[in-house]
Amino acid sequence: MASGEVEQPQASGSSAPVGSDSASPAPALPPPEKPSAVRQRSYVVLSFWLVVLLLGLPIWWKTTAIYRAELPLDSMLKWADGKACRPVFPLQISIQADALQEQEAHNLIRLTQHALDDLNDFSGHHLRLQLAPRNAPLPKDDFRTALTIRLQPGTGTSASLNQESAVLDITYPPNYVPSLTSPSSPLASYITNELRATFAEEQSIISYLLSTSSMSTGVRPQGLSAEAAEALSKRTTRSLRYAPTYHLTFSLFTANGVPNTWDIEAALDEYIRPMLEVLRPIHNFTIDTQVQLYAVPGVQSQVLSKEHLSSFINAAEWPLSPSIGKAPTVNFVIYVGNQTVALDAETETSQSWMIPQWGTVYLLSHPDTVSHVSVEELKQPMLTFGGHLLSLLGTPQSGSLPLRLSTLGRIRSTDLLLRASSTLGSLARLSLALPSISIPRSVADGVSKTMHHLELACADLGGPEGLMHARIAEEEAERAFFEKSMVGQLYFPDEHKIAVYLPLLGPVFVPLILGLINEIKKLVKEAKQKALDARSKKHQ
Amino acid sequence: MRSLLSLLLLIVPSVLVSAADYHEQLNLRPLPLSALLASFNFRANTSLADFEAHNFRLFPRSLGQILQYAGTRELHLRFTLGRWDAESWGTRPWDGTREGGTGVELWAWLDAETDEEADEKWLTLTNALSGLFCASLNFIDGTRTIRPVLSFQPEGDHPNSTLQSTRLLHGVLPHEVVCTENLTPFLKMLPCKGKAGIASLLDGHKLFDASFQSMAIDVRPICPSEGECVLQLEQTVDMVLDVDRSKRPHDNPIPRPPPGHDLICDTTKPYHQPGDACYPVDHLRGQDWTLSQIFGRTMKGTCPLTDAEVPPVCVHIPPTRDIFASEGAHEIKYSDNDSMRCYQINQDQEFTLILTNAESTADGEARPLGIVKPETPVLYAERSFTGHGQEHGGMQAILTNPGDDPVEFVYMESLPWFMRVYLHTLSARISASSPNVNTSSADIIKEIYYRPALDRARGTQLELLVSIPPHCTVFLTYDFEKSILRYTEYPPDANRGFDVAAAVITTLEPKVMNIRTTSLLLYLPTPDFSMPYNVIIFTSTTIALAFGGLYNILVRRMVGANEVPRAAFKDKVLGFIEKLKKKRAAVSAAAASAGGSVRPAVSNTEAK
Repeated sequence: MASGEVEQPQASGSSAPVGSDSASPAPALPPPEKPSAVRQRSYVVLSFWLVVLLLGLPIWWKTTAIYRAELPLDSMLKWADGKACRPVFPLQISIQADALQEQEAHNLIRLTQHALDDLNDFSGHHLRLQLAPRNAPLPKDDFRTALTIRLQPGTGTSASLNQESAVLDITYPPNYVPSLTSPSSPLASYITNELRATFAEEQSIISYLLSTSSMSTGVRPQGLSAEAAEALSKRTTRSLRYAPTYHLTFSLFTANGVPNTWDIEAALDEYIRPMLEVLRPIHNFTIDTQVQLYAVPGVQSQVLSKEHLSSFINAAEWPLSPSIGKAPTVNFVIYVGNQTVALDAETETSQSWMIPQWGTVYLLSHPDTVSHVSVEELKQPMLTFGGHLLSLLGTPQSGSLPLRLSTLGRIRSTDLLLRASSTLGSLARLSLALPSISIPRSVADGVSKTMHHLELACADLGGPEGLMHARIAEEEAERAFFEKSMVGQLYFPDEHKIAVYLPLLGPVFVPLILGLINEIKKLVKEAKQKALDARSKKHQ
Repeated sequence: MRSLLSLLLLIVPSVLVSAADYHEQLNLRPLPLSALLASFNFRANTSLADFEAHNFRLFPRSLGQILQYAGTRELHLRFTLGRWDAESWGTRPWDGTREGGTGVELWAWLDAETDEEADEKWLTLTNALSGLFCASLNFIDGTRTIRPVLSFQPEGDHPNSTLQSTRLLHGVLPHEVVCTENLTPFLKMLPCKGKAGIASLLDGHKLFDASFQSMAIDVRPICPSEGECVLQLEQTVDMVLDVDRSKRPHDNPIPRPPPGHDLICDTTKPYHQPGDACYPVDHLRGQDWTLSQIFGRTMKGTCPLTDAEVPPVCVHIPPTRDIFASEGAHEIKYSDNDSMRCYQINQDQEFTLILTNAESTADGEARPLGIVKPETPVLYAERSFTGHGQEHGGMQAILTNPGDDPVEFVYMESLPWFMRVYLHTLSARISASSPNVNTSSADIIKEIYYRPALDRARGTQLELLVSIPPHCTVFLTYDFEKSILRYTEYPPDANRGFDVAAAVITTLEPKVMNIRTTSLLLYLPTPDFSMPYNVIIFTSTTIALAFGGLYNILVRRMVGANEVPRAAFKDKVLGFIEKLKKKRAAVSAAAASAGGSVRPAVSNTEAK
């Protein structure tokens, strides 16, 4: 190889005269180009490149660009991390102590408040006491006040929750009244303990919710044992996702032709509707009922064990499809048959069980010959359904009904707030992780609406306004996250792009680039020549 | 006291039952050519009050919710497969009112003040029904939806005020293949499912093996003159079974020729020789079957909810034929109609019927078929494409009135938008063999209601009010143009063709009935589907060629042929070739000079 290269100049040197000898006289040099022609060629090359760069590139960029609306990523992530909002639940407790003197009452409240503040381990959940105006009637539907304590003198200390409204009645012996000077009083500590007991469950649920969410920074659940946490997690997984409206379906299933009628309307009026009326401020409900004959359960055995329960519902054949519309469906099934559910104890049996996030099944025994199910027979199933509905909705288990419902409102607001925040965080992370995903304007709108309502909700977490704003925020966040047009262009492989671009760009760019190279070469040469000329001029 | 209580308990449900009653009936009618028509009819009434309170008992909850959600006043849904052979089977069951065109057909009256609202509700309805019946009803979009003007009238009793604020929409999906997955939800809607009563005979394998089958669902409000309004849900299944085919054993379904002595021969043929040459006439075989042979299973009692007055099974057959029913069944004969027999069945007993073969008459004459002769229909209709090529086509409908009275009817077509109809070519011509040949086109077509298609937005709607004189055949023809679709608009099996929905014929005189023609398969110009890439390559090449030429002309310098500067590379290559040539020449010259001395040496070595 090396020898060939060495030989090359010799060979070409020898061949050139031979070629010129045999073929033609040495090629005549073309006449020197006019400078105007040279300049013109430069302009042509330049203008082609200008068209490509100034017209072609922007058009290509514009037509293939993916629209990405601006998202406030920082604040979205802040919400998700819980830095934007510190959930606090200031709970107003008003104390009616008409029997005490003004001064004494104030002192009692001061002492109790002290005791509460000392004991409180969870700063978000804050009980604030105030003295109710004297001889005032019981506050009705006042959402500001979570609980009213009625202090009455009596013979011994006792406390009872009123079943109709959020009122705690406390009686105390006269010697419990704190003197104006004493630093502590038995009545104050009694009230403190009662209050803590009343709100213990709510506190633990909310702190559990906060701890499981990503907003947990700063809010450590304290005093929450492992068993308690497990029980709470069971309860939260069991309850349905929040929705403003639920659809309740009551179904009567029978294995053969009887019974085929039931007094469901009367039973609903008596046992279910009053309860739904109480829940009305938090949820709306629609109800439908159906009778289904010849429905064979998935399990035939007489006594159902725990394993059987999951396959009892014959999903393929029983028409329990969720109802049309947005509202989630809660199913309440009465199955007529003499089957029973075996509990852990050998002899104990049960009639019903709850299916998490789905509904309840009740096994009703009914004589074979009677084709009608009366209201009396429906009483027990309906009461069971009512109870199960409350726990499916996530209502706490202790306390009086009004108190449980107001707690439910606060729990739901927290839950929704956390859900909306974490959805925002997911959206932010998604848009960071996938640079090629398109983000339409509607998503940006949804995000800004969500943040607006989140702020409003955060400002008023305990009240009904907060629940409403949290609800809107959650809805908007979900809508923004599940925007359909975002995934449309996600997958467009690079091979396809090459297949589309190469046939055009290949043949077009080869002459363009060669022309450019020639031009640049010429420019370099000219510059060198100029330098050479200048040097020789200098020498002269 | 106790008996009184139980009596009360028994009365209460019976009162409730009468308010919402249910009945079911199976009609069996043997047809010529060993066919058997089985018509299942299930009818459930629910009071409107119960329906509005969402208390579903006989009415299926799933359908009820859809109707309420989509504001549907009246609904008609049809799943049809196969073709009704009117020439041999006569009039259609239920006068054709319970069948649709091939595929799926849906029409409904929706509560809507404006057309936009109606469209929105229609979308909801079709999507929801699509999920319920496992059919592609969600593909009924704007291009497949029309608003008929003359063809359909509400069947239910609607107050005039509500009827004014309702809209009728009609959608059809001729491509849909009706199958078992549509039957399962259909059976689920029945109060007794497929577990008891006549529905226990319905088996997907037999139903979809039939020569013709149609499933219908009708929901309509009925307001009797006294009493409260009810919402009626009527479910109908009509099927024409091939008896010979159904009787084939399950485990050995391959048809085999019958042995020679079982053959029925046409004795009028000149070559007929007993035992040697035979022209078989299978259609004279007559029918003998059992219910369990035909449907593959026996009937499992009756549904306990059914109206005890209505006998569940009826057979339409001449009184001369013998039928044996299973024990416990009670035969009812009607004095006014001696060719109908019905059977009352015990609630918990299995039931089957045995129809024996018609007895041959003694005097050697041709054996009677032993079936009730089918009625001649009011009108025969068939429809086909004419024309050739990929651009233009024509449609021809042949309508024959076999009766003695003129027939007046509405002929409705719902055509896809890619069939561009030339309405000016629409003509009606009476065939030359008809008695009144001189009737002009204007006398036949009385009214035309035409809504032209919009590309990709809606299809053509054509409704014609036609009257045909007695014993005449009318040819209804028009031309159309086939449009070229966009690349993405072709279905995966584009070369199969595009289904064109059946024409719906609603006769007004002498009686109201429905006829549907078969659906058609339209061939459109179909591209080669590697086209887009070819187009990219082709246009790119053209552009590159044009661009290259233009660019070179602009940039290159023109010089004389002898003035072309030698390219350095070319010089190098030429020089190398020259050198190679020289080397070879030198080698061969050396070889030639040394040739004489080398050769002997070689031979020498060989000699050694």
